[in-house]
Amino acid sequence: MDASEPSSTATGAPVAVAGYPGPFPVGRYALKLRDRLREFQRVAVIGEVCGLRIGRGPNVYFELRDQQGALSCAMWRDDFDRQGLAEDAFADGLEVVAAGGLDFYPGGPQASPRLQFRVRELRLAGEGDLLARLARLRRELSADGLFEPQKLLPRPVLPRRIGVVTSRDGAARRDLLAGLERRGWRGTVVWGDAPVQDRRAAAAIRRSVRDLAAFADVDVIVVCRGGGSIADLWAFCDEALCREIAVLAVPVISAVGHETDRTLIDDVAAVSCSTPTHAAEAAVPLDCTRAREAVAAHARRLNTLGRAALASRARTLAASSRAPREHLDRHRRRLHQLTREMRAASARGLAGRGEFQRRIAALVLDRKLEATRVAAAAGRRSLGANARRLARASEGIGRRRSLALGAQAAALRAHDPDRTLERGFAVALDDAGEPLAGVAALREAGSFDLQLSDGRVPAQVDDSQERERGAP
Amino acid sequence: MSTEPGAVAAEPMVPPPTSYEAAVERLESIIARLDSNQAGLKETLALCQEGKVLIEFAAGELEAVDRGLEELQLAELIERLEPSR
Repeated sequence: MDASEPSSTATGAPVAVAGYPGPFPVGRYALKLRDRLREFQRVAVIGEVCGLRIGRGPNVYFELRDQQGALSCAMWRDDFDRQGLAEDAFADGLEVVAAGGLDFYPGGPQASPRLQFRVRELRLAGEGDLLARLARLRRELSADGLFEPQKLLPRPVLPRRIGVVTSRDGAARRDLLAGLERRGWRGTVVWGDAPVQDRRAAAAIRRSVRDLAAFADVDVIVVCRGGGSIADLWAFCDEALCREIAVLAVPVISAVGHETDRTLIDDVAAVSCSTPTHAAEAAVPLDCTRAREAVAAHARRLNTLGRAALASRARTLAASSRAPREHLDRHRRRLHQLTREMRAASARGLAGRGEFQRRIAALVLDRKLEATRVAAAAGRRSLGANARRLARASEGIGRRRSLALGAQAAALRAHDPDRTLERGFAVALDDAGEPLAGVAALREAGSFDLQLSDGRVPAQVDDSQERERGAP
Repeated sequence: MSTEPGAVAAEPMVPPPTSYEAAVERLESIIARLDSNQAGLKETLALCQEGKVLIEFAAGELEAVDRGLEELQLAELIERLEPSR
């Protein structure tokens, strides 16, 4: 900037600030600034239209934005009309190319200053513009390492809940469901509906992806829409959307457009597919129908192997146990045979011993009998002699006893009362036949019997003579 | 038996499967081991027991995605979680 003359006051020289020129009148500085900015080279910029205002005034105002910055733009209404853009076709969210240069409205006592990009030419961004911008974004995101994180996330082969971001009425929705059905997958789908083409698409897609990850507890997210031009798919090249997906903790599968239309989201996603049908296969890597058959086959195989292992070992064990069992059986049979033989032999032995013992006993008995006979004969002979000796002894004894008896009889007869009576004596007997001995007994009895040898006569005591001899 | 060549079931306590693919991978290794006829009786019984657990797990995982397609709306889920949003 040319050095402006410092303003002066009526009171004298202006008061400078140490180290700074001036102070200068601000209006003059603003004009100088405008002139200087207008000297900047005229350029074309590309960005998204935002805050469009088409009023009655001489200017059309809007902003151009991208992820790195923004410019306030102003375009004379005449210039705008000259572009041939229909007002209803020009709206926020459009990607446009604007050509012009910096301008500065210096404002005034009643107006605020404004730095603007004065647009002289304006057109919608063409495919070439978009592809060029896409290439630049791709380089930037790649340089930031944002293509890798999603690809490092583990993806379950059998997700239970799948989040899907797509248009509510799009064909992609039906294709995705058909693909899941072909997989034999009948889990839970959480639909995060979003526009997929208009100026609000990128922000809506971004919000749905974020909410699915945060609230829906999904195992994987599919973002899909059908084919279209790069302009149609531009929402999926949104830098903010792609940066957010790149660092999402849930794997994202993109299926946007077709293989020829590779969008930026395809680069940052865990898996990029050409169609929603392929996205279904990527979301459920496992063919559930076949997996069910395989698990059933595994179960049958395991059962068969387990049973076979047991049966095989049972046969081996049976074979192993047969030898000792047969060995034992042989010994058992041998033992039984020996036992039978032993019993038979024992029986024969007992019978033999019995016969022998009987013969011995008979012999002994015979000998005993003979000895007994001999002894008996000897006994008889001895008995005869003894008898004879006994008879002789008995005879002697008899004689001796007869002689003694005769002597005793003679002695006895000498004491026999009858012999006494025979010699003339008598014996007095009481009524009971008892002898009465003495005079006193006779007197007491008074009457009595006199037993003589030839009979008994009554008698009576008569004391008359005694009493006469005794009387004075 | 752990000392048998190629034994795959040496661990007395087999950790439970954590995913379908891990369960099926382990199941296939068990069947391969049994197919080899090199497993002893004790190992065979242990492998069969483990295989049964794995099959139940895998079948359960498949059953979880075979109960009929359920479709939920994200907006309704969020509304339920955050009514004021």
